[in-house]
Amino acid sequence: MPEFKIQHLTKYTYPAPVRDSANQIILYPIQDEWQEVIKQEIHISGDPVIDTFIDYYGNKVGSFTYSEPHSALLINSKILVQTKHKQLPGNDIFPAQQWEDLKQLRYMVPYIDFLRLEHFEGFNDLKALVEAEKSKDDTPYQAVLRFSRYVYDNFQYIKGVTSVETTMDEIWKLKAGVCQDFAHILTLMLRLVGIPARYVSGYICTHRSTTMRGEGATHAWAEAYIPDYGWLGIDPTNNCIANEMHVRLAVGRNFLDCSPVKGVYKGASEHRLDVSVAVGYEDDAPSMHQPGEFIDMPEHKPVTTFPKNSYQRYMEMLLQQQQQQQQQ
Amino acid sequence: MLSRVAASLYWLSRYVERSDGILRMLKINYASSQDTVQEFTWEPVIRIFAGHDEETQKLGNDSRAVMRYMVCGKNNPNSILNIITLARENARGVQEHITKDLWQCLNEYYHTVKDNRIDNALKKDDPVSVLDVLIKQVMLYYGTVEITMERGEGRSYMNIGKYLERGIQSVDILDTKFGSIDDNPDLLTDTTYWKHLLLSLGGYELYLKTYREGFEAENVLEQVVLNNDFPRSVIYSVNHIQRYFERLKNDSNIDDYRELSFYIGRLQSHIKYSSVKTIKEEGLHLFLTQIRSQLYGIGDALNNHYFANS
Amino acid sequence: MQESSYFSQYSPIKGVWDEMYGENDIRDHYSKVIDYLSRESAEDLSRKEELAKRLFMSQGITFTVYSSGEGIEKIFPFDIIPRIITADEWAFVEKGIKQRLNALNLFLKDVYNNQFIVKDGIVPIDIIYSCPHFLREMYQLQVPYDIYVHIAGIDLIRDHDGTFYVLEDNLRTPSGVSYMLENREITKRLFPDLMPQCSVRSVTEYPTILYKNLLSLSPRQISNPTIVLLSPGIYNSAYFEHTTLARLMGVELVEGRDLVVKNQKVYMKTTIGLQQVDVIYRRVDDEYLDPLVFNPASILGVAGIMGAYRTGNVAIVNAIGNGVADDKAVYAYVPEMIKYYLNEEPILKNVPTYQLSNQDEREHVFENINKMVVKKTNGSGGYGMLMGHASSDEEIEDYKKEILKDPRNFIAQPTISLSAAPCYMQGGLHPRRIDLRPYALCGPDGIEIVPGGLTRVALKEGSLVVNSSQGGGSKDTWVLA
Repeated sequence: MPEFKIQHLTKYTYPAPVRDSANQIILYPIQDEWQEVIKQEIHISGDPVIDTFIDYYGNKVGSFTYSEPHSALLINSKILVQTKHKQLPGNDIFPAQQWEDLKQLRYMVPYIDFLRLEHFEGFNDLKALVEAEKSKDDTPYQAVLRFSRYVYDNFQYIKGVTSVETTMDEIWKLKAGVCQDFAHILTLMLRLVGIPARYVSGYICTHRSTTMRGEGATHAWAEAYIPDYGWLGIDPTNNCIANEMHVRLAVGRNFLDCSPVKGVYKGASEHRLDVSVAVGYEDDAPSMHQPGEFIDMPEHKPVTTFPKNSYQRYMEMLLQQQQQQQQQ
Repeated sequence: MLSRVAASLYWLSRYVERSDGILRMLKINYASSQDTVQEFTWEPVIRIFAGHDEETQKLGNDSRAVMRYMVCGKNNPNSILNIITLARENARGVQEHITKDLWQCLNEYYHTVKDNRIDNALKKDDPVSVLDVLIKQVMLYYGTVEITMERGEGRSYMNIGKYLERGIQSVDILDTKFGSIDDNPDLLTDTTYWKHLLLSLGGYELYLKTYREGFEAENVLEQVVLNNDFPRSVIYSVNHIQRYFERLKNDSNIDDYRELSFYIGRLQSHIKYSSVKTIKEEGLHLFLTQIRSQLYGIGDALNNHYFANS
Repeated sequence: MQESSYFSQYSPIKGVWDEMYGENDIRDHYSKVIDYLSRESAEDLSRKEELAKRLFMSQGITFTVYSSGEGIEKIFPFDIIPRIITADEWAFVEKGIKQRLNALNLFLKDVYNNQFIVKDGIVPIDIIYSCPHFLREMYQLQVPYDIYVHIAGIDLIRDHDGTFYVLEDNLRTPSGVSYMLENREITKRLFPDLMPQCSVRSVTEYPTILYKNLLSLSPRQISNPTIVLLSPGIYNSAYFEHTTLARLMGVELVEGRDLVVKNQKVYMKTTIGLQQVDVIYRRVDDEYLDPLVFNPASILGVAGIMGAYRTGNVAIVNAIGNGVADDKAVYAYVPEMIKYYLNEEPILKNVPTYQLSNQDEREHVFENINKMVVKKTNGSGGYGMLMGHASSDEEIEDYKKEILKDPRNFIAQPTISLSAAPCYMQGGLHPRRIDLRPYALCGPDGIEIVPGGLTRVALKEGSLVVNSSQGGGSKDTWVLA
């Protein structure tokens, strides 16, 4: 039973003080049969009160506000978590029966949300591709593995090539992306053949000897629903089953449901975001692992409530007028 | 009172006061342009109210072009048209806090200045008549405020805005006029020059009554900075800022109140305990620069502490 | 005699229910008004019309249309002849709306909690889950007194035989109530003494009832809770209405930037510091209400307000997420809801509605498109709809293409021949098509509907679209005692 010590640091720095920020964090590992949180501490600069609730998808969500002017916001989450290996699905049921079972889920909560397809330009191409890729006697499990390999082989993993604002159309044209794009593409492919698929955010915790994509930051992958088995984690970025090395934070339809940290504030929109995730292991010294170098990752950004609206223009104009007078 | 509402009342009032200053300035300068042997220049007016840029360069010294730019210029952020549009928008957002009469009055001012006939008349008719039509709108506004507005917090913010704007204008005008003397010492003895300065501030008649010995730069300075009874003097404006600010005293924001009260008091003393002599010793330009920056400081402090824009 | 001139020249539209004219004569409830009018010359009436316009303009009952950067003040066209509803008709309408609202409220509670109606297969689950206004953020969120719809503006129309039909349920931020109030004030000025003679019921109680209901929702049990009306601001076309309601209720009119959330409580920024807000009557759409949770680009909302709402520190009116109940695809199931939740037969009829996501229904609609009105399921204001009988083949083909892209977003209804009422225009009375939007207020003590509403009128001859964006106007609406 692996045990991981994870330190996840998120730091926003602003060139000038901002105020009235409202924030939402989804940084609490899921607690279930395969994952147990032994200890978690979240410290936020300014020590705001964090109010938590369980959202529609069962994720624990924290929210806090920070009204006083501040030039930085630091969120430090330290987790001690234990994971268990989940047995992989067997192949002992006839494929046809399994596909039939999946059809029954189409009009059921919660699967209905994980089967819904959003239209995008490449939709028909993807559909044709999925039909061609899927083999007739595949079980859903085999289809999942096949699609994961497809995404892994056909999309290039390039850090920073996309952001949370990149649309599915753009990713489809680029044929490249980061883990969240890989996860989005795979969920789409699975939904197209009727396999409920959801987006997962979390951490990847590899052994020191190996390196995998997605380390040092928050990671994302997918989960597919397999009849008589349940949710199966699948990581298309690394083309592997997401099992005891993947620590889950949240599940949802897509990234927007799982966004680990987001916020809105008043002030200039420029800011810098640094995220680092460091993982220590059970046999490490008892002290928390030191975080690695911060990496600048445009994972997502808070939106200022001060874009160019008429009020802003008005304020700018006032400023302009005053400056004009002051120049004399 | 909502901070936004207070800020809107304050700005509404600053804009109307500014429009008044601009209109009077235009009227006097136009008269001056018709009445001078020397080369008349619109340059100081443009400098005070519009600033220098490509657009104002093009105006040259063409009186009608300057006036059209200052009154109807769509691209001039400080044109009467633009600032009255802003004044009206501020009023629109606080309609429940001003009287219906006042709203209708501002509305009429707005529709008057927006009317194409104003621009056309500035092109070819008598500009003074046009300016008078607009000045009358401002006077109607002040009368309506006086008669209909409730004597409460809202009116205090309006008056603070009005006197702050007026104080800044008087300082700017003085600074510009006296600044020109440095370049052209002959102006010091030029009667018309001082007469126009006083006229544009509406202080000509008071001057004649107060000073019998003709136009002296020092006397003009004394009246415009230090005369408690001259409604456009700097000290008069500051006294009124203080008077209306005092009414905002409230237990729940006593710290904010004290801070602003200190700024205003300091400025008031600074002026009150100055004389033409000390001002000359200190240097007029330096003195005016300090006064101006303290007036701006009061505006900033209001913004931070009362209008929630910290 | 000029007496009968207005009336003798009046020619009702064939095959259309006329509110004034029935069975070859004036209906009883219109007779006093027609008597009064016949004592006035056309010049008198034209003068009244002018007076009405002037009153609207001078009182600033206007909306601003922005084009090429300049704002133009416009008034919502007003027809001086009142629309009259008999006591019996009103009793029926009132009962029907109350029943419908009860069911819709129960539906909202159900759909955001146990979803019994879905589990029992009464409302198809995919219609709910594909509705963009079904907000998962509202799942299991407790709202005060289980009231979701505090203010409803249910649109009614009458078919050729006078039968009332519900056309739309507006359960989000229905507007227009200020026109109900202002039209009445104007009518008092236009026709002195006429209203008491006709025993017209008063509508002035509306703001009082609304205020009472808002007060009852305050989470803090204090004597003087802070109630605010949240407006998108002066550029909103309904800004006049927001100021009117705020003034009539004596509550503060705020914009998003006046509010701030601190530790799950909402405050307004005042000159003497922050003041906690207890109840928000918002006229900002769900999507813009909280940039943290919904549209991040919104500058009209308040970041974090959803958290304050969830923790019960502030009441929001109407509740968030009501759009799932007035979605036009869900509309088709309202009669079923009434039976399901109340065990009653629906009093008010629904217009038959075809779901275009259903292939058979879609084909039927496409074949009969000349007799259909096709609408977007989440549209309003008369935008983006297709009137089959009045569209060119090309328009129809283009529209069909739109439908096929996402059929779930469209429904179709047979064209209903709206009833007509007399309007004063070109010096005489002419029939024009109308609808009726009564305003229902729902509080802990039940549902109250002020006797009246907004009658919208399609001023263009032959037009069936009453929306103001499409050349519609309004009339004062009289309910007789």
